[in-house]
Amino acid sequence: MPDLKMDMTVNGRRVTKPAGPHMRLLDYLRDELGLTGSKEGCGAGECGSCSVFVDGKLMKSCLMPVAKADGAVIETIESLAQNGNLNPLQRAFYKTGASQCGYCIPGMVMAASAALRENPLADAEEIKERLGGNICRCTGYSKIFEAVEIARDVINGTLPATALDAPGAGQSYIGNNVRRLDAPGKVTGALRYAGDMVMPGMLHMQVLRSPHPHALIKSIDTSAAEAMPGVACVITAADVPGVDGFGVFVHDQPVMAKDRVRYVGEAVAAVAAEDLLTARAARDAIKIVYEPLPAVFDPEAAMGDGAPVLHDYAPDNIVKHIPIRKGDVEKGFAEADLIVEQTYSTQPVEHAYLEPEAGLAYVDHDGVVTVVSPSQNITHHRHMLAKIIDKPIHKVRFIMSPVGGGFGGKEDMIFQGMLALAAMKTGRPVRLVFSREESIVSTAKRHPARITCKMGLKNDGRITAVDFRMISDGGAYGMSTEGVMRKAAILSCGPYAVENVKIDTYGIYTNNTPSGAFRTFGAMQAQFATESHLDICAEKLGLDSFEIRRINMMRDGATTHTRQKLGSVSLGRVMEAAEQASGWQAGPPVSRGLARNDLGGPGNRRPCTLGARLRPGSEQLREEVA
Amino acid sequence: MSGKVRGRGMAASWYGIARTATIDRAGAWAELDDGGTAKVVTGVTEIGEGILTVLAQIAAEELGIKPEQVTIGDNDTARSPEAAHAGATRQTYMIGNAVALACREARARLVAELADFWDVAEDSIEAFDGEIWAAGSNLKMTMEEAVDLCKKRGVVPLGSGSFSTDCTGLDPVDGSGSPWQAYVYGCQVAEVEVDTVTGEVQVLGMWAAHDVGRAINPRGVEGQIEGAIVQGLGQALMEDYKIENGHTTTHGFAKYILPTALDVPQINSIIVEDPDPLSPLGAKGIGEPALIPTAPAIVNAIYDAIGVRITSLPATPEKILAGLAAKHQGDNISREAAE
Repeated sequence: MPDLKMDMTVNGRRVTKPAGPHMRLLDYLRDELGLTGSKEGCGAGECGSCSVFVDGKLMKSCLMPVAKADGAVIETIESLAQNGNLNPLQRAFYKTGASQCGYCIPGMVMAASAALRENPLADAEEIKERLGGNICRCTGYSKIFEAVEIARDVINGTLPATALDAPGAGQSYIGNNVRRLDAPGKVTGALRYAGDMVMPGMLHMQVLRSPHPHALIKSIDTSAAEAMPGVACVITAADVPGVDGFGVFVHDQPVMAKDRVRYVGEAVAAVAAEDLLTARAARDAIKIVYEPLPAVFDPEAAMGDGAPVLHDYAPDNIVKHIPIRKGDVEKGFAEADLIVEQTYSTQPVEHAYLEPEAGLAYVDHDGVVTVVSPSQNITHHRHMLAKIIDKPIHKVRFIMSPVGGGFGGKEDMIFQGMLALAAMKTGRPVRLVFSREESIVSTAKRHPARITCKMGLKNDGRITAVDFRMISDGGAYGMSTEGVMRKAAILSCGPYAVENVKIDTYGIYTNNTPSGAFRTFGAMQAQFATESHLDICAEKLGLDSFEIRRINMMRDGATTHTRQKLGSVSLGRVMEAAEQASGWQAGPPVSRGLARNDLGGPGNRRPCTLGARLRPGSEQLREEVA
Repeated sequence: MSGKVRGRGMAASWYGIARTATIDRAGAWAELDDGGTAKVVTGVTEIGEGILTVLAQIAAEELGIKPEQVTIGDNDTARSPEAAHAGATRQTYMIGNAVALACREARARLVAELADFWDVAEDSIEAFDGEIWAAGSNLKMTMEEAVDLCKKRGVVPLGSGSFSTDCTGLDPVDGSGSPWQAYVYGCQVAEVEVDTVTGEVQVLGMWAAHDVGRAINPRGVEGQIEGAIVQGLGQALMEDYKIENGHTTTHGFAKYILPTALDVPQINSIIVEDPDPLSPLGAKGIGEPALIPTAPAIVNAIYDAIGVRITSLPATPEKILAGLAAKHQGDNISREAAE
């Protein structure tokens, strides 16, 4: 199909550059016009990161074919700051700290602009409703709401413009709400993430992934793909010159599957081509013959006799077992007046950073293999890649691009090796940008856990013993599992002084999507169990939730479950602070909600009913303001 | 019991700062630069938590200039000293202290020249917000002038810093060891409203008290707490990566449900400061720990509201309704038994 003739107005300028017939408005803005402030977060209209105005109406540009935008007036995030001066809304985002990783922020600023254009007097509830189509994974939205309300009041003249100014130096810059130095680049869309970067002569990569959870690779035929015009190279495990393997603790994962795939979505081969469409077509032309193997999806089944073995070095499928033993749990249980045992489970969770994985690699004039990516661990990635590509370490360079959300999910070197190999094979820069679906299927999740907690207590609430057993699905590769099991074990029984503990955490290989680092590194799963358990015990003993914890809490100089002697322990202070701030009414947790008198206080938001806060009077209000 | 009922729950938590059961380390370089500005170079960059601003604040305070005068050269294994990884709630603690140490060395070089020039004791010299002076005198100049003077005397005021933690690995048999040198503690209270007809849970309020050691940027700390709570809320109530025979059925945001603006409770943060005695800054960290107590506080609040104990996350409407039905049946059985 020939290119489309275009004639539209973008940020006040007429644009007539032709467009590819396959392009969405987002592709045209980003790839043809270089307006990379609009971000692609999901490609499905769910996240709002690509929001722009089309003829004054807020639209998700990933859902709009560019042909439909012909003749339209488009406004993007780049249009808001005139001559580099932030507008009041952008200044309010800057003031309140409403941007964190910043990837969702251009779309969020556009949605907030739309909210205040639609109703300049929108109240807090209406603002929330109007931002409901935009996802932010970092901020918890609270500072965004605050920013929009401040901007609204400044624009309406009910707050002075000085409300948007920086705080002063005061007596110190420590303990000072200095505005984020990176915010202007984020609220204007100026900051370039890896997927926004281009280099002259750059190739585009696409990755062929396993459709099987467990299979042998009998053959890979890349000849048709390599013969396609515009294809620069196809790479497979055979292209790895050094020792193939990466992982945060155990290097059990090849850059691309070698002889065998262990999960659905595992990279098997990659193509670098002149453009994305060619790369996709070539990827689809690679022929792979698989021989499916028996697979195992449940960690407890994987620990059993006769289960399929994923990695030869771990015949029992155990990635890591962390034991902690202190005191004598049997003696502790014998002394207990009450013993409570309960099993808990937590689900796998996706990091859902708004920036899907992306990277750019090249070999520089000194022969240094350079990878630019939002890696959370460039130091370790450099160590691993040097061995994989068999180069001296100073001939490998990692540059950490701005990270559009990480939460642990970008600690693994999941794609950087493929980029480096393709750059070395072609001598050209190569870029890879994951789709949202690719990001979800191929990258690590929070470890799901199954935890059995057995706790013995005296009638006065003192814990005499805890037996804590956690089994976690590590998925197909080791990644951070060892460390996650270690941290989960150390912290499992909570900040409570317990003389007798027996703790075991197990990370297990299965043919599920790998589990990896995720904010709290196992501590959340473990303490979910312990903190639920304490409330169950408190109910049985007739103790208040704070009280049972106070009876057992570690105090200054306490000894931990791993027998470390602590210095100052602030737990009593933080519990008192939360109890007082919430106006907590003491009493045992016997499902007394109906009888409480501390509910509905000023620290709550109003409950919501969808759509109810868009007031029919908005139109009138706007006229009054005008 | 029918309709919308409220309840409250709480949970406490603890967490270790920086890498676990191993010696952690981070490095930084600092230079007081022309114009009274500064360059700080270290090997990590922003992942959204605000570390660049925190480092600029630390450098500004240590050097006596303004945060916006600090340029951070970051993120490059070939151009900056090792700072290792951006995770483990280690950025403020590890890199922050490395930057403080580097800045102290750079400042000491400048102060030595200035003390000689003014003929005053080095420890009488103070600096803040772009000015430097000798206490108890009228000797004062801008930092721009001071850097110029220092360089004209042949000295470039620069420094380096390396910060490490003193930890041990765990014994492989009994797990004994000292995995961290700094610990933080937290406590959260959740207030929920449960719709007993639909099973839907709304979290209306969260009160979150967290020890951060020393808050470099209190607003930034709040931002971390708010973000962590909303991730914890997602895990407690809705997020669920589903996988069947190795294939996910939640491969996009239409299927994988995330918290939006409408799900967010009012978050009331209380920052507690128990300074770390083992590091120059006294700051600890907040990135990860604020997520820990959220889900158990919410689940305990659900129990308080409706008497249903959710032991399997997430607490979906289906599980709430199933729990209510089981409870109702149990109530009937016990009533019959009593009769």
